[in-house]
Amino acid sequence: MSFDHSNSQHVTSSLMRESLVDKNVMARTEASVSAILPDVNVIQIGGHSIMDRGRSALLPLLDEIVANQAEHRMIIGVGAGVRSRHIFSVGLDLGLPTGALAALSAKDSAQNAYMVSCLLAKHGFVYLEAPFVVQLLPAMLAAARGAVFNGIPPYSLWEHPPLQGKLPPHGSDAGSYLIGEVFGARSVILLKDVDGLYTADPKLDPAAEFIPEASAQELIDKKLRTLPIEPVVLDLLTRAKLARSVRIINGLTPGNLTRALKGDPIGTLIKQ
Amino acid sequence: MKNEKHVQPAHGVELLSGSLTDAAIQQATGNSPDFAILPWVNVVKIGGQSIMDRGRSAVYPLVQEIVENLSRHKMILGTGAGTRARHIYSLAIDLGLPTGVLTVLGTAVAWQNAQMLHYLLAQYGIPFIEPEGFSTLPHYLMERGAVVCQGMPPYKLWEPNPPVGRIPPQRTDTGCFLIAEVFGARKMIYVKDEDGLYTADPKKHPSSEYIPRISVEELLARDLEDLIVERAVLEFMARARNIREIQFINGLKPGQLTAALNGEPVGTVIYRNGDAK
Repeated sequence: MSFDHSNSQHVTSSLMRESLVDKNVMARTEASVSAILPDVNVIQIGGHSIMDRGRSALLPLLDEIVANQAEHRMIIGVGAGVRSRHIFSVGLDLGLPTGALAALSAKDSAQNAYMVSCLLAKHGFVYLEAPFVVQLLPAMLAAARGAVFNGIPPYSLWEHPPLQGKLPPHGSDAGSYLIGEVFGARSVILLKDVDGLYTADPKLDPAAEFIPEASAQELIDKKLRTLPIEPVVLDLLTRAKLARSVRIINGLTPGNLTRALKGDPIGTLIKQ
Repeated sequence: MKNEKHVQPAHGVELLSGSLTDAAIQQATGNSPDFAILPWVNVVKIGGQSIMDRGRSAVYPLVQEIVENLSRHKMILGTGAGTRARHIYSLAIDLGLPTGVLTVLGTAVAWQNAQMLHYLLAQYGIPFIEPEGFSTLPHYLMERGAVVCQGMPPYKLWEPNPPVGRIPPQRTDTGCFLIAEVFGARKMIYVKDEDGLYTADPKKHPSSEYIPRISVEELLARDLEDLIVERAVLEFMARARNIREIQFINGLKPGQLTAALNGEPVGTVIYRNGDAK
């Protein structure tokens, strides 16, 4: 270690005295990544699509999660839903910025995640706030039988300005995907109330065609007017190092989750 | 039909039933007004490698200048990471760890620098606040004039991968920018060890030219190999709603911070086209 009072004090490293903004320096950091929890599956329960429907939609799904528990390790991310839409509406009316909306919305998904964790508690699932996901997830998975986490990432006031409008771009789809990517999960499965991806919203347009598989870049280029997932997930997928696909399935159809966990081609697979 | 528990909207935007990914709905949300939460606050980012790593010779005079400005300007002081972050990034990359883990590690370095700055400012009643404690920020700013925080955004394991390589793309420049943006701050000032922006790194290329003022659009279009600021700041600034310009000053030159806080055009200003005077 150099120790020089006349100038910066440096610790010797390959990045010492380098600008981390330099494109050549950034390119040099390209190297293989190891998976931290390669046998874990990240399951995301939609807020608007599943949680807001209450018992009829959620309980059969939780039964299916429990039925698969012995064979597949799962961590469950949960989305926000209609309460976030309401607080977005109030917050926008008050002139609040995107970061404030993100901080507010994360409480709605935390409520939903907490409810799911209560319903799964007797099966050994624990609820982990973001700091505990960082510090305790591997230990919890070794001790507990599964974990539930807030799907919305902890960006809070630091949420990115969106490309358009003022809504926070990183919701629970992005947060759950990012957990899958950082831990190198076996799969990322998003449970929604549609069978997967269509060329248009199937609830509004009966002529919409189903897309069983597509690459993230293809979907970005197609500029579909609406998507059943947050568009930012497509961008994240193009930069994936470990979680190179996400599967969108209909969580209202019994058996879909089980098939997706087995790796059956169900719903829509979006690949890198 | 859906068994939804509906809540009445308070706002004309069709947020409750429509798809939030619908481009038209997203666009409509952009028409709502912008309220600045802390319009009088200045966000000042103290560089890690450029200032903190230099130790006493750079940090003491800057601390003195901060103290002298406390009665006139309210400041959120964010810190960069620096050489220890570079060390742990290279080590972690070598060990095959992902970007999100690098963010957790790098955050600890910015945190250390913030703690050190806080120790030096503690006798003036300046607190250090964690991201979770930001709701107490208005109180400290009103009573004491400044707070210290670490500059990294609290993304932890949720940091997105960069387009190239493994280094977290949103680091302390970005974290401080986003603080300024969300609070609708008066100024975003970056304190570095150069007079501002050059056409290339002046430490390596003595022939590089100084740029006192440039639009963010032009800077992005130049697609320079190296920059004075994280690219994410420029991308976010191009679509920000509150922050119209950011300023880069030399913290090794006494008086530059005071001048910048007073609104003088020292260093380099990057502005958004059509917004700045």
